[in-house]
Amino acid sequence: MNEMLRIACVSRRFGGIQAVRDCNISVQSGSITGLIGPNGSGKTTLFNLITGVYSPDEGEILFEGKTITNLPPSRICHGGLSRTFQITRLFWEMTALENMIVPIRQVGFRSLLGPDMFRNEIDRAMGLLERVGLTHLKDEPARKLSFGQQKLLEFAAILMADPKMVMLDEPAGGVNPTMIRFIMDLIRDLNKEGVTFLVVEHNMGVVMELCDHVIVLDQGTKLAEGSPEMIQTNPAVLDAYLGT
Amino acid sequence: MEFLRRWWKLIALLILLAFPWVYREPYYHSLGFFVLLYAMMATSWNIMGGYTGYKSLGHSAFYGLGAYLVAIAANKLGWNPLISAPFLAIIVALVAVLLGWIMLRTSGSAFVIATIAMLLIFRITALNLREITKGAPGLSQPLPPWSPEFSRMPFYYYILFWLIVALFVSWYIRRSRFGLGLVAMRDDEGKAEMVGVNTTLYKILAFGVSAYFVALGGGVWSYFTSHISPIYAFDILVGVDMILMTMLGGLGTLWGPVLGAFILVPARDLILFKFGSTSIYLAITGGLMMLVIIFMPKGFLTTITDWVENRHAPRAAHQGARSMADIYDSSSEKKQGEDESSHE
Repeated sequence: MNEMLRIACVSRRFGGIQAVRDCNISVQSGSITGLIGPNGSGKTTLFNLITGVYSPDEGEILFEGKTITNLPPSRICHGGLSRTFQITRLFWEMTALENMIVPIRQVGFRSLLGPDMFRNEIDRAMGLLERVGLTHLKDEPARKLSFGQQKLLEFAAILMADPKMVMLDEPAGGVNPTMIRFIMDLIRDLNKEGVTFLVVEHNMGVVMELCDHVIVLDQGTKLAEGSPEMIQTNPAVLDAYLGT
Repeated sequence: MEFLRRWWKLIALLILLAFPWVYREPYYHSLGFFVLLYAMMATSWNIMGGYTGYKSLGHSAFYGLGAYLVAIAANKLGWNPLISAPFLAIIVALVAVLLGWIMLRTSGSAFVIATIAMLLIFRITALNLREITKGAPGLSQPLPPWSPEFSRMPFYYYILFWLIVALFVSWYIRRSRFGLGLVAMRDDEGKAEMVGVNTTLYKILAFGVSAYFVALGGGVWSYFTSHISPIYAFDILVGVDMILMTMLGGLGTLWGPVLGAFILVPARDLILFKFGSTSIYLAITGGLMMLVIIFMPKGFLTTITDWVENRHAPRAAHQGARSMADIYDSSSEKKQGEDESSHE
């Protein structure tokens, strides 16, 4: 398997807090990789470093072998790397359908000014909305959707950019068991279609069932990695979670 | 009612075309000119301040720059202002792009302060660059060649034409992917960047476009008044007026800025006429504005359309979404038609 994403010796400090420290992580192409760790272990900071929200103080981030360190987030998205947020972020005043149309992979001046581009994109958006079961809500403003629907919409919308790799920040956080099942099936299906996943999740049941590789972060650096079974029995991991 | 809904734009245009012939006094031509001028400039400001949400208080800088460029070109090179203004405004738009590249690193109130600072820099420069601007006394330029009796009318029709162009540009941007990106940025700029919208580029382009028509307006105004000075050309109130009109009519809507100009410009003239040429009109417009912000924060147009739609339908449909839904419906209908024809 090829390497999709590589984080090499990345560090980032916020004032007196070393959020990420000399972190080395690799995500294999075609995998569903889980990223777990106690609160404050640097998972979300790592996401923000990868997607260009923050720049690393040290180290390098490679996507498909090319460096994406210090690129603006839009360029990273154009390269095929998309993410969702722990606290769902949508364009609240826009409708579900409009939320779907905003994300794009690449854009030139012609498509920038051409509303005619909308036609096939709307067809694609409607296809994806149907896949997540939100077709009937396409004209509702995003803020009127329920929490679970908003999460699904955010997920579906980033797929419009046709990403090679998707990073999900707690996809199962705060949603009911039926919805968790649905989201897991969706992730698996997309994975079969060739999308690589990096998933931050606190629900261990989901991580163990969904992921084929798990990375454990603690205090901003990699503590352990391996198959879900290996992680479950790793004494260092148990120690980090339960404390000493 | 249905007839009105379908044809109101044409009817409005016909009324505007006939207006100078019905009200023949130069005063009305002058008033009409300023209504249309401010409608155009507010429409232009709205592209940045309304769609994107970056509220510039310094757009008078582009107004003054346009005015001075046109006046200087008329004096030194003999260029006809009505011909040169649309071209010289391109230069101002490019200047705005350059300044935007610097200023748009800030956002929120810091951006507002930056735009005011920009305006003050232009104003002080114009006051002190005496070789070019003649300083505080200002610049005069030749009067229009046509007879004084009709002196206001060509200006009126000229600016009416450019108002239509500005409205078309505003409409086109709102319907394009570019416009969708701008509105997305107003909701959540960080998220927009994260899903692939090049927010820096979008903001700078929108800033340039919104400076263009303001600069054009300044150029035409300088010919209209035939004498300009830094105090009036780089007057912060010109920019404030654009904002007041846009917010009064409906921020981020296509017709809101126009509606705002049609209300506010005559109202201000009326106040000036009633109370004399004192600063009382400032206090009155300020008071009106406070009332609007408290009771109709979305402006007249949005409040009224929401009210009408809530009466007709239980839920208010989003304006942009409705148009997108139309596209979707029409495209799927078209597809069905194609499918049927292929079966035959």
